[in-house]
Amino acid sequence: MKNNIEIVNNETLSETIHKTVLSNGLEVYICAKPGFTKKIGMFGTKYGSINNDFINILTGKRVDMPDGVAHFLEHKLFEKEGENSLDLFSKEGISANAYTSFDHTVYYFETINKFKKGLEMLIELVKTPYFTVENVKKEQGIIGQEISMYDDDPNFNVYFNTLRAMYINHPVRIDIAGTIDSISKIDKDILYTCYNTFYNPNNMFVVIIGDVEVSDTLSIIENNIQLYEKNIKSEKVIKFGVNEPKNILQKKIEKDMGLYMPQISIGYKLMPTEKNEIVKREVISDIISEMYFSKSSKFYEIEYNKGAVSDDIDFTYEGTTDFSHIIISTTSTKSEMIQNDIFSYIDELKNGEIDEKLFQNTKRRKIGENIVESENLNNSYRRIIDSILHESQLYYDIEILNEITIKDIKDFLNTLDYTKAVVSIVK
Amino acid sequence: MKNIYKVNDNKFKSIYISYNFTFETKKDEVPKNVITSLVLAKGCNKYKTTKEIEEYLSSLYGTNFDINMEKIGDLYNVEFRLECVNKEFLPNKEDVLKPAIDFLYEIIYNPKMENNKFDSAIFEREKSFVLDKINKRKDEKLKYAVLKTEELLCSNEPFGTYIYGDIKDAENIKLEDIYDSYIKLLEKSFISIVVSGNLNGYDDIEQYLDNVFKNKLDKVDFNKELINISHKNRDFTSEIKEIKEKIQTNQAVITIGMRVENLEDNDFYALNVYNSILGGTPSSKLFQNVREKESLAYTAKSRYYRFKGIFVIYAGIEEINYEKAKTVILQQIEEMKNGNISESELNSSKESLINDLLEWNDSKISLAKLVYTNAISGKYLTIEELICNMKEVQLKDVAKVAEKVKIELIYLLGGENSEE
Repeated sequence: MKNNIEIVNNETLSETIHKTVLSNGLEVYICAKPGFTKKIGMFGTKYGSINNDFINILTGKRVDMPDGVAHFLEHKLFEKEGENSLDLFSKEGISANAYTSFDHTVYYFETINKFKKGLEMLIELVKTPYFTVENVKKEQGIIGQEISMYDDDPNFNVYFNTLRAMYINHPVRIDIAGTIDSISKIDKDILYTCYNTFYNPNNMFVVIIGDVEVSDTLSIIENNIQLYEKNIKSEKVIKFGVNEPKNILQKKIEKDMGLYMPQISIGYKLMPTEKNEIVKREVISDIISEMYFSKSSKFYEIEYNKGAVSDDIDFTYEGTTDFSHIIISTTSTKSEMIQNDIFSYIDELKNGEIDEKLFQNTKRRKIGENIVESENLNNSYRRIIDSILHESQLYYDIEILNEITIKDIKDFLNTLDYTKAVVSIVK
Repeated sequence: MKNIYKVNDNKFKSIYISYNFTFETKKDEVPKNVITSLVLAKGCNKYKTTKEIEEYLSSLYGTNFDINMEKIGDLYNVEFRLECVNKEFLPNKEDVLKPAIDFLYEIIYNPKMENNKFDSAIFEREKSFVLDKINKRKDEKLKYAVLKTEELLCSNEPFGTYIYGDIKDAENIKLEDIYDSYIKLLEKSFISIVVSGNLNGYDDIEQYLDNVFKNKLDKVDFNKELINISHKNRDFTSEIKEIKEKIQTNQAVITIGMRVENLEDNDFYALNVYNSILGGTPSSKLFQNVREKESLAYTAKSRYYRFKGIFVIYAGIEEINYEKAKTVILQQIEEMKNGNISESELNSSKESLINDLLEWNDSKISLAKLVYTNAISGKYLTIEELICNMKEVQLKDVAKVAEKVKIELIYLLGGENSEE
C-alpha cells in the first residue's frame, strides 16, 4: 500500500515529523529522534471522560453512559483471557501503561531494543478486548482504591473543585475515574458499546517517537492492524456536547482536608476557541505566567516578602474546542490575602502598560526552554497529541512565539472577567 | 583535572552543570545546611534578589538554576544545578555557558554578606520556607507514609532524617549560625563538578571551570565507607516492630521496612533484581498478588535504597483490609526467601533493570549522576559495566541476598475518614 506521507520540519528544534493517514482512517505520526536509545509507541483514541453521550456505532441509537467508563475501559483492556497484558509486556522487559484524560485515552510502551515486538503487542492489546462479568467486578476494587488515592490528594481536589465551581453542565467537572457509585453501574455490555464505537480506526491515532526507520515502522503498523480488522466498522463517531452557560456555578468552594499548607486555585472561565488559536492562548499564558507570576516577577517578590507565598505561582491555560479556562494556582498559609492580591493584580495588569524589555527577555527565556525541552521524548509526543486533538498545526507553539505581540498579551488579559472567576481552597 | 568530570554527547542540544558539596552531617545539623544553601541561592553581591537572578538567567536564554538536596546513605549532598543551551543552537551562536558558570561562582563564593552576617530578610524567608516544608509533609499521605518508614527504620542514623531536617532543630536556627555553616560547607565538603550534554565547541570547558573555581576544588577527604556500609556496625533487631498512626484520610497506607544484613558491595546487582521481582514492575509479586489477584490496592510497590541497604514496601489500601494486606505482602517476602522465583521472573526483571540503565544514555542528568556517584564512591563503572554485571545475576544470587533481607517494621497510616 502506498501512503501519502507529509513531512513536517522544525528548524529551531531540528526535529522532523512524518505524518500519514492509513486507508482505514487511522492517523499515524512518527517523530524520529536520532541518537536516543528509548523508543515510545502510543496508540490512542479520541475518547475520554467527557464523552458519555454519543451514537452507538452498531445500533445507531443515542446512549448515555455512567461516569468513569472511558477510564474503566482503559484498565480493562489490559485484561486478556487468562493473562494480563501489562504482565506480558513486563515479561518481555518492555514497560507499558495507559492514561485517560478528558478527551482522549492513550496506551503506550517504552523500549530500548524491542521496538517491533512492543509495537505488535501494543496493537494486539488495543485490538483484542476481553471483557467478562468477573473481570469487570474485580476491577471495581482496584479502581475504588485509585479513586480513594485521588480523594486524599490535595492537588487533585483543589483542581477539580475549581472546575466544579466554574462549570454548570459540562462533564469536565466530573472526575475522570468517576465515583465509587458510578463505576458500580458499569458492566461488560457497556464496555463493549463504548469500545466498538470509539476504538474504531477513524477515531484513533498512533504516535511513534524515537530513533526508528519510518517506512519499516509504517509497515509494522499496517500489517498488524489488518490482523484485527475483519468486522470492524470504521467511521466518524457522533459525540454530543452539552450546552454550557457563560456564567459560573459558584464563586467559592472550600474543602477541609486537615492540611498544614492550604492550596489555592483561581479559575477564570473563558469562551472556547479552536485549532491554532488554542495553541496561541497556551503560549500567551506561558509568557504571562513567566512575566507576571514567576519568581522573577515583581508580584512574586512582594507576595514572598509578605509571607503570602512560598512555592511557585502558576498561570496555566487549559482548553479544547468546547471548554476553556485559566487556572492560577499556589499554596499559602494566608489564603485570603493571596486570593485578594491576585484579583487586584489582574485588574492592575489589564489597565497597566506592558514593559517591552521584560516582554523581550521573557521571549528569550522561552526560546531556550523550548530547545532544552525538545531533548525530552515525552515533550515530542505531547505536542503531537495536542495537535491531533486540537486539529492545530504541528510546531505552531514554536512558530508563534516570535509573532506574539504586546497587544496579544493585553488582549488576552482583558478576556479575564472577575464575574467569571472562581476560588477553590483546600485546607 | 581535580574533581571536574565531563560527559559529551552530541545528541543533546543543551548542557547540564552540577556543582556538588558532599559532606557528613549530624541529624540536628540538617536544617542548618539546607537553609544555608537556600540563602546562597536567593541572592549574592552581584545579583541581589531572586528577581535579579531570574532576570539575568532569562537573558541567558532561560538558563535554569536551582539547588537540589539529597541524602546519599548517611551523607548529605547539596547540588547547585545549571542547565543551558549550547551556543550552536542559539540565535547568533551566542554563548551562555561561560556566563552561566561565572554566575555560579558569584552565587556560591560571593554571597550577600556584611561582617560575616548574611542578609537577615532572606534568612527569615528561607527559614520559614523550610519550616513550611517540614510541616506540610503530612499533606501527601502516600509519600508521608514512605518518609515516615525511612525515619522509623533509621531513627538513630543521619539517613533517618527528613531531607529538610527536624522541626525542633529548624526552629532554633539563628542568623549567626548561617555563617559558620557556610564556612563548614566550603571547607568540610568533598566538592565535585560534573558537566554533561552537548559540549561541541567547548573543548576547553574543564580548563575554564578550573580557572573560575581555582583552589576551591581542593579535595576534602571523607569517610567513603559511610555511603553503603554504615549499617554493618548497627545492632540488628530480630524483633519486628508494628506501628500505627492515625491521620485524616480516606485511604490507609501499609508499609514494611526491611534491612539488608551484612551488605557487601557486590550485592548491589542481586538486590536490585530482588527488588524488581518483589515489587518493582507490573509483573512483580506485589503487583500481581496485592493488586491483580486480591484487588486490595491500586498502588503496591517496593523500593530499594542502594546507598543505605534498606527496602520500603508500600500499598494504599482500605483500612479494614490491613490484616489481609499484611498477610499477602508477608507471603511475597517469604516466597522470595524460599526461592520461589521463576526463570521468567528473573529474566524479565533483569531486562527491565538493564533497560533502565540503558535509558540513562538519554538523559544528561542521569549521565551526570552516574559520574558523580562514581566520584564519591571511588568506583569507576560505565553503564556497559553495570549492565554486564546485572546480566550475570543468577537465581542463586537472588536467593542468597533474600536470606539477608530482614523485616524490621510494619507500619500503618490509618484513615480517620475510612469508616464513611
